Amino acid sequence: MSFRLECKKIRRTGLAAAFLAGSVIAAALPVINTAARPDTFSSMTGSPAAILSDANLQMISMLNLLLITAGACILYHIEYADNGLQKIQSLPVRESGLFIGKCGILLPFVLMMILFETASLCFCGWRWLDAGKEELIEMLQTLGFTLLLTLPATVTALVIASACRNMWTALGIGVLCVFMATMLSTDNFIASLFPYALPFQILPGMETERVIHYCIAAVCETAAACAAEIIHLKVRRLFA
Amino acid sequence: MNMIQTRNLTKSYGGFTAVSNLNLHVPKGSVYGFVGPNGAGKSTTMKMFLGLTRPSSGAFVIDKMSYPHNRVKILREIGSFIEAPAFYGNLTGEENLDIIRRILKLPKSTVDDALELVDLTPYRKRLARKYSLGMKQRLGLAGALLGRPPILILDEPTNGLDPVGIHEIRMLIRSLPDKFDCTVFVSSHLLSEIELMADHIGVLNHGHLLFEGTLEELKEKASFEGYPDENLENMFLALIEEDNMRRGGVK
Repeated sequence: MSFRLECKKIRRTGLAAAFLAGSVIAAALPVINTAARPDTFSSMTGSPAAILSDANLQMISMLNLLLITAGACILYHIEYADNGLQKIQSLPVRESGLFIGKCGILLPFVLMMILFETASLCFCGWRWLDAGKEELIEMLQTLGFTLLLTLPATVTALVIASACRNMWTALGIGVLCVFMATMLSTDNFIASLFPYALPFQILPGMETERVIHYCIAAVCETAAACAAEIIHLKVRRLFA
Repeated sequence: MNMIQTRNLTKSYGGFTAVSNLNLHVPKGSVYGFVGPNGAGKSTTMKMFLGLTRPSSGAFVIDKMSYPHNRVKILREIGSFIEAPAFYGNLTGEENLDIIRRILKLPKSTVDDALELVDLTPYRKRLARKYSLGMKQRLGLAGALLGRPPILILDEPTNGLDPVGIHEIRMLIRSLPDKFDCTVFVSSHLLSEIELMADHIGVLNHGHLLFEGTLEELKEKASFEGYPDENLENMFLALIEEDNMRRGGVK
């Protein structure tokens, strides 16, 4: 129910168009990068997944995070701009349902974005790096891992957007978080657990134990962000 | 029987008390006019009924259901319109009402019904953000009337309307208890406005209820206490002024 309502609410917001355009740009990046200097990549040692991830995933992840932040801001801006949220609050629905509905909208867009990027990386691997079936599967695993690690940032972006009436505040905080994440060392495990830093982790070459730790961390951080939103809603109602 | 009843309902923000020990009795099937100057606590009281603001102390019962245990059940019974119109600007008037209809699980025909009631049918496909203030006000009213709820809480519903619109909405509100068997709790800062549609009145000033009863009872009280009773507006102003003087000259 919440999901269907949210689908109706995003009409004419440009959200779908923004994600589609963002996905195409992010997907075009590895193609342009590899097509411009194919010899550089083909002479590199390592699996095609590792070569392509090292060369492109940082930029792709940053684009993804910026798009997620903007998307979360749009989703809550429609609630705050003309006081629509107040109307919803005076109806027999739980506000947490609204948040779940927004997650339900944003996550498929994130999935679409990552699917576009996966297709693009697979194409680059097949076209320029002679990737076979196994290498393509490795690329799919890489992007599945990226999707899981993007979840905490997605939910956190929605929590921030939900807490800020002013869209520009939420957008500013989100952009700051993205740039902070790019400055954090990816080698330091604790620092890399920052929700916005997780999507910058690259699967190829990572120890299995560390992969498991990151997966657990992503699930825990997503759950923690959801819990934070529920607490925030309760506190907001308490002090209203 | 009272549809809405409060017991010592109070709302404080830090050291400021917006509503103080309010004891309201809104009879079933009546149009109850809640009058008071700006900042008297009318909207705060209404927000408490809708769960938008948490009472600091006291309690209230709506249709025999107490808050906060039955918050969702209470909201199912209420159609509301609080302060400024609340809507989604990127959606048309019809789509806005459809969102509310889906939440209330009402049939599709209720949207047409509500649009017709407030004369918005010709503008149903227009984006809500492109509506004039009066049209936004009508859209808010349509949202409150959707599904013909047994209780209507309307906060200054004629704000922003032209004289013809004010007259139409007044007539509509006046007719609602007979037409839809509902109770209307409507606020205004103008007694002259309320006297044309309400049969019960509550006068609020600085969060305190100064009077509750019918218009006739208000006239009797005014005449008994020596207020000007030939004109309701003067009576209201005298009542408020005396209360302000009692509170140390606060205007």
